[in-house]
Amino acid sequence: MLESIVHVCLAGLSTGMFIWLVASGLTLIFGVLGVLNFAHGSFYMLGAYFCYTLLGLMGDNFWLGLLLGPLCVCVVGFVVERYFLRYVYPLALPYQLLLTFAFVLLFDDLVKVVWGAGSIGSPTLPGLSGSIPILGRNFPVYSLFIIGVGPLVAIGMWALLEKTWWGRIIRAASSDREMASAIGVRVPALFTAVFIFGTWLGAMGGGLAVPYVGLLTPGMGESIIIDAFVVAVIGGLGSLKGAFLGALIIGLLSSFGTRFIPTFDMFLTFILMAAVLLWRPQGLFGEAA
Amino acid sequence: MEKKGITRRDFMKASVLTAGAAALGPGVLKPTGVWAATPKIKGPIKVGYQAIMSGALAGYGEFHKMGAVMAMEEINAAGGIAGAKLEIEFRDSTLKAPEAIKNARYFVDSWGADFLAGVDSSGQALALAPVMKELDRILMVTHAATEKLTEEQVYKKGIKQVFRICTPTYQDGNAAAFVAKDLPAKTWATISPKYEYGYTCWEMFKNTLGKLKPDAKFVAESWAPFGTTDFRPHINTIMDANPEGFYSTEWAGELITFVKQAKQAGMFDKIKHVLFPVGAAMDVLEGLGNEMPDNIWMSGRYFFQYPDTHINNDWVARFHKRWNHYPAYVSETGYSTMYAFKKAVEAAGSKETSKVIDALAGMMLVSPAGYRNFRKEDHQAMYDVPWGLTKSDPKYPFKVMGKQVVIPAKECFNRPPFEGPETMPPF
Repeated sequence: MLESIVHVCLAGLSTGMFIWLVASGLTLIFGVLGVLNFAHGSFYMLGAYFCYTLLGLMGDNFWLGLLLGPLCVCVVGFVVERYFLRYVYPLALPYQLLLTFAFVLLFDDLVKVVWGAGSIGSPTLPGLSGSIPILGRNFPVYSLFIIGVGPLVAIGMWALLEKTWWGRIIRAASSDREMASAIGVRVPALFTAVFIFGTWLGAMGGGLAVPYVGLLTPGMGESIIIDAFVVAVIGGLGSLKGAFLGALIIGLLSSFGTRFIPTFDMFLTFILMAAVLLWRPQGLFGEAA
Repeated sequence: MEKKGITRRDFMKASVLTAGAAALGPGVLKPTGVWAATPKIKGPIKVGYQAIMSGALAGYGEFHKMGAVMAMEEINAAGGIAGAKLEIEFRDSTLKAPEAIKNARYFVDSWGADFLAGVDSSGQALALAPVMKELDRILMVTHAATEKLTEEQVYKKGIKQVFRICTPTYQDGNAAAFVAKDLPAKTWATISPKYEYGYTCWEMFKNTLGKLKPDAKFVAESWAPFGTTDFRPHINTIMDANPEGFYSTEWAGELITFVKQAKQAGMFDKIKHVLFPVGAAMDVLEGLGNEMPDNIWMSGRYFFQYPDTHINNDWVARFHKRWNHYPAYVSETGYSTMYAFKKAVEAAGSKETSKVIDALAGMMLVSPAGYRNFRKEDHQAMYDVPWGLTKSDPKYPFKVMGKQVVIPAKECFNRPPFEGPETMPPF
């Protein structure tokens, strides 16, 4: 029984940290730019496909692929923000949703044209496919790696936003756009930079998914973006602390739910989301409007 | 009130027109109306084909298309269907029932389809059946597997417009039980899709194996929702139960993901007897490549290595040459569907729905998958598909079937009238 519970916990932690990696960029972009970016799932998908292609070109060097793949997607993120999103900031929220959703459809079809409509099984990577026995049952090393990367990303983002000059400017611009520009912050350029950083986080999640999920499909971003949205809503839209905690809760809840109350496992996350919205509409760490 | 049949005015109009046409001579006015002699088949023959072409399963749509297009090219190059040209239009079914109905109505009402084909999801197929009756067009189902379609909609409710060319859940549930009874495993568990298809197959597997091997025990089940990318919690459930045998109707990309994650967790080292009823699908085999473990039992709705006949081998070679792929099972069912329509229309001498239904029911079709016989009562195609053990073969970049076992369709398919235990195997 102990063995079972430990493994259910580990599976839940890796699921949660994986969702957090995707939700972090989504939350950052919403927190600073105020844009609910549906296309974040597409950046995740593009990150995975770029990494996969680079892997093939560079002889299965996963780390190099993980470094370069998301950078390629950042170029895409730059174009999306600079030449499209920028023009809808002053418009009502539905316009932003429509525009980012249009990009979802566009990128899904683009992936089909470039990489084919079929699913692609990613190759097994030496050194990443092993597992180690924990209490007599094997646990994948790569899942442990994901469990470790999640908190590192969280600490890194916290340090960046709270401890650096750049972070202070971002916080200033997100709390009052006009005042920030009045004192000389180039807000549009800053927004572009933050969007690119958010894109990088999403694409990074996609790159890490290549060995984690083991499968690339057109539209692969659509299922993860739902989880990421749930996590962001539970934690409080725009709150990184909330998203991290929300991801942990959702990961563990789904793992324990699948194991111990399988009949309701699909409802659990949504019941939790509904409960949080009723009790604290702004989310666990969100600021009351 | 809507008037049915021929009214007096139509009668007059037709007589005047026909008389006028006769007076003016041929070439000026073509005769229309009740007395006009219509040519037997007015071409072209149009088939509306819908399959999943977007999202994670878009690859299936591509494979459907390859088969159907290849049949169309061959048929038209050889003079068409009874001299009429075959045309196919494809639409994305999106796996949602309302979309499937919308597509069917578009095909018939706007595009003028004579026949419909395709459909991947059981839910869509069940929703379409009454619509096919209303539209009065034949639908040949090439992928959706629920036995309720043929047992309930066709046999019990009498919707004669629906046919199915692929094997149904009998192949996944019943035939799997015949394979499992000869394995030295007594305790069985499953991770399967959390929807109709997954539940039905596991229920069928349990019932049939329970009859064939009364000491078989079913110790754990874990149901994975559509779109699952993380099977690790489900794998934990199975490892806790420690079964000797494992059965899973996971399919397509989710099966690929599952196999990789189960392998990492060491599941195939602990559980030696594994059955994947839809594992012998080309997308799964190509996607997994060498990562598919050896000695796993797998099957599908057709597998390109079976039967070892001239017709099949020749077709596989032509297919590979045309598309640079080995045919997936939906390619074969899509391909054979066009030939089924051709044979039935030519036998009926008409493309009229009721006449083609009569020709199709009970018809024998020679196809790459072997002899197919459309059972009269429920319009289900009867043909054999093997179960096989995975093994490596230097000729292919993916695992193929080594040892094969064929459970004949007549032994493992439920039989009409589909009521009571004597209509289910073993017989």
